[in-house]
Amino acid sequence: MSFWESFISDLLKGWITTIEILAISVPASVLLGLGLAVARVYGNRMISLIASGFVALLRGLPLVVTLLIIFFALPKLGIYFSPFWAAVTAFIMCSGAYQSEYVRGAIRSIDVGQSLAAQALGMSKLQEITHIILPQAFRRALPGITNEIIYLILYSSLAYLVGVQELFAIAKHFNSLQFRPIEIFSTTALIYAFMATIATLGFRRLEMKLRIPGLEVT
Amino acid sequence: MSYIVEISKLMVTVWDYLPYILEGVLWTLGLVAGGLGIGFIIGLPLAIAQVYGHRFLKILVEVYAWFFRSVPLLVLLFLFYWGIFPALGYKLDPLTCSVLVLGFRSGGYQSQIFRGAIQSISEGQFVAARTLGMSKLQSIYHIILPQALRIAIPGWTNEYAIILKDSAICFVLGVMEILTRTRYVVMATLEPLLPYFIAGGLFIVLTYGGTKIVNIIYEKAKIPGLIGRM
Amino acid sequence: MPDDDIVLKVEDLYKSYGKIAVLKGISFEVRRGETKIICGPSGSGKSTLLRCLNLLTRPDKGRIWLEGEDITNRNVDINKVRQKIGFVFQEFNLFNHLTALKNVSIGLEVVKKMKKEEAHRIALEMLKKVGLSEHAHKYPAELSGGQKQRVAIARALAMNPAVIFYDEPTSALDPQLIGEVLEVMKALAREKVTSVVVTHEMGFAQTVGDELLFMCDGKIVERGPPMEIIRKPKCEETKKFFQRIHELYARETR
Repeated sequence: MSFWESFISDLLKGWITTIEILAISVPASVLLGLGLAVARVYGNRMISLIASGFVALLRGLPLVVTLLIIFFALPKLGIYFSPFWAAVTAFIMCSGAYQSEYVRGAIRSIDVGQSLAAQALGMSKLQEITHIILPQAFRRALPGITNEIIYLILYSSLAYLVGVQELFAIAKHFNSLQFRPIEIFSTTALIYAFMATIATLGFRRLEMKLRIPGLEVT
Repeated sequence: MSYIVEISKLMVTVWDYLPYILEGVLWTLGLVAGGLGIGFIIGLPLAIAQVYGHRFLKILVEVYAWFFRSVPLLVLLFLFYWGIFPALGYKLDPLTCSVLVLGFRSGGYQSQIFRGAIQSISEGQFVAARTLGMSKLQSIYHIILPQALRIAIPGWTNEYAIILKDSAICFVLGVMEILTRTRYVVMATLEPLLPYFIAGGLFIVLTYGGTKIVNIIYEKAKIPGLIGRM
Repeated sequence: MPDDDIVLKVEDLYKSYGKIAVLKGISFEVRRGETKIICGPSGSGKSTLLRCLNLLTRPDKGRIWLEGEDITNRNVDINKVRQKIGFVFQEFNLFNHLTALKNVSIGLEVVKKMKKEEAHRIALEMLKKVGLSEHAHKYPAELSGGQKQRVAIARALAMNPAVIFYDEPTSALDPQLIGEVLEVMKALAREKVTSVVVTHEMGFAQTVGDELLFMCDGKIVERGPPMEIIRKPKCEETKKFFQRIHELYARETR
């Protein structure tokens, strides 16, 4: 096999692992972001404090450090993760924390009249949050959430640090065998850039599709 | 009881290494200052070019910003350290290479921050400067930039926090910053918990402390009516 | 509560915010099919009264019976009570992310657990009633203020409430849009939809109001047929208030 043939076929395997990581951590981080935001705005003092503390902690730590703590330090406390799940857990927690900031801001920006009208119809707090508040907040927070997901795609390469055989790990390994860094790493760079660009365009379409007059982000 | 003795012995060993880890703070701050500085030197002209430049120039800037904002830092570090710099004939040490890569990348991000700030200043300001007889360059330098830079400060504060956290990734090249040293201590003591928690604590202090300091500077630089937007 | 004809009975209602007493012993009854008008200077406690009545704020003292049930009782399910009370806000408060149709049907779907088709059918019927069936698929931002308020009325009506509260429904509207909203409200009043209306629209009060309660400083200072009170107010406060309203209207129509 030529250099390119074997390189590309190897990269493909790594790319699939990267996609697996993202397929789990992207939707899970969005849910966590929504949940944390709701907990911070609507939770009682205790719950809101815990959620805020979690967000502040995860936003203060570099993702690398979070990841290394989860994989190397937590086993000392009896909490074990496989490399794959250590990475996925770190990504979900970190991205979810950042996303929750956008969602929380969006919830806060919604007029109290919306809540009053929901109550006047006889909605419970939960019905109000799921049917009235979150659909509006999500739309307003979407550009920010999109940004965080793009970051997540790029930072998924950090999974290599705990031994996950994803795209970058494969590229690095291949380079150690062949040592053609320019070809290998620029190809890898372009694959990531391609993924990020596709995701950006995809989310922009989603924003357009979900657009409602009067609910634009200002 | 013996457990407590174990723990206290451990504290002593890790404690011994604390100054060693703390020294990493200087390296980390060096990476951040270098990255932010180079990013500023690259980002500001790029932003001006993107707003006021020729069409061809605008496209070039956009490609630059797109590339550095769409490629993981990890990949950039390896690409430049092992590939591009050696191919250009430079054998750079890990610190220099890391600062440059952080700077190139931050330049991409900062160009977007400054572009947004420049564009948020009304066209009227520019027209008013031109009617006073200022040249295009004079108008940008004396009228637009002093306002745009203030507006960009909140975005810039954010950029500080981002670079600070990203600088930890430079441990893959062996730059002697906080995380690299932490890992050495873990290897030496075979005790991961405390060193990583110390490293985490340092980063949290640097993130929130640094942001606080920049905010104080921002309050000082504020002009009524010119409010920065996030 | 033996009298089946009484939809809402309020007895000796008190409410204060901190040291400021807003309601000082309000009592009245609303009979089925009746349109009750409440007016009074701003700060007299009208909006607080309405919000107390559907428990958006809790009264400090006093009792409220809705269709014979004491809703001030702590064991009462507030959400059940609110389903029986339609509320039309001064600022419309349409749900921004929902079309006119969905705004009207969401209460039926989410709160009353009605099937979507059935809810949409009723919603469309209600929109027709307020003359907006052509605008069913527009979002609030695409509607005029008057149209928004009509959708809000349809939304309240769809829940088939025992009584509808209107909290100054035309105060946030441009003058030329007030008419269309009042027309809809008059039509409903003629259909004997039980309602309590806080308003300064004296024309409306005289045409369809059955009784007018004049509030001042947290108390009802005068009550009776709207025509009588507006023409021959007995109380000093009432006199002053209607004089000012007349002056305002005279200036506007000139």
